[in-house]
Amino acid sequence: MIEHLSAEQISQWIVGERTPHLVQHVAECAECGTELEQLETALAQFRTAMREPASAPAPPAWREPAAGSSWYSWPRLVLATAALLVLVAFPVSWKARERDQAAQAALADSQLLESVDSAISQAVPEPMEPLVSLVSWNSSSTDQNQKAQRQ
Amino acid sequence: MATAIASSHELDDFEAVVRLHWLKVFRFVLASVRDRHTAESLAQDCFFRAYKARDGFRGEASVSTWLMQIAVNLVRDHARDRRLQFWKRARLTAVDVTTAGSWLPDAGASPEAAALMKEQVQAVWDATATLSERQRTVFLLRFVEDMDLLEIAAATGLKEGTVKIHLFRALHAVRERIKGAK
Repeated sequence: MIEHLSAEQISQWIVGERTPHLVQHVAECAECGTELEQLETALAQFRTAMREPASAPAPPAWREPAAGSSWYSWPRLVLATAALLVLVAFPVSWKARERDQAAQAALADSQLLESVDSAISQAVPEPMEPLVSLVSWNSSSTDQNQKAQRQ
Repeated sequence: MATAIASSHELDDFEAVVRLHWLKVFRFVLASVRDRHTAESLAQDCFFRAYKARDGFRGEASVSTWLMQIAVNLVRDHARDRRLQFWKRARLTAVDVTTAGSWLPDAGASPEAAALMKEQVQAVWDATATLSERQRTVFLLRFVEDMDLLEIAAATGLKEGTVKIHLFRALHAVRERIKGAK
């Protein structure tokens, strides 16, 4: 009993992979030969039907997309770039100025606070400072003097 | 490199590119999505994308294969798109399954022979509807667009061996359908 072509061998034949063994079998086996012929005919008819121009619309009139249109012209591009730079640069410079002002204010504030701290920390007014060296402000030493006088 | 240079020059006159390849792209997309309006839209999108990407075309493949690569990607993306609007529209404008057979030109065949041919075309058309997306793509590129395995591999991004597996499975399904139609 003759062994007919497998599904894979039939596919091989259809895609053109025709080994000598396949060619010999198809030549000798009428059943396989008929089946292959019918399949090839069906595929050819399908191809013809699908490629029938009546089934497809005419190609659309090609118009270049916006890349070639006038808005993309060089003068417009330069103007747009300049406008963009202004828009970007203005907030940047404004922010920089604000930052400088804030830094100066912070410096002034810290200088003021330092001067206030310095003033508060003074034990006596500046005009009386020469007297400080003449007076002992140590209370414990005063107590010791009083005790010594009692004894 | 001569091929690359020639191919790059091919894209200079893009209107000619559209005229030359429109039918091929359209019929592949139509057979894939089976909706005329969607096919027209996708085919136009294919050429629009190709136009935008033309500077990047290096000519590793032919312009035709390159366009089919874009078309295959568009069909794949479209298949993934499950928007309700598409399905509503697809139902309204889907290609009638009897249409494929009627596309067959009558080349003086007898009524019986013509009827048999239309049946066979119909059987193949029906079979392609049951294939997986990849099998259908590979089948259409091979048997409608006459692309060889290497070209299909380039267009689909699949390995040649994988292309062959999909093609064999598709052929098996089509053969079974034709047998069943007898």
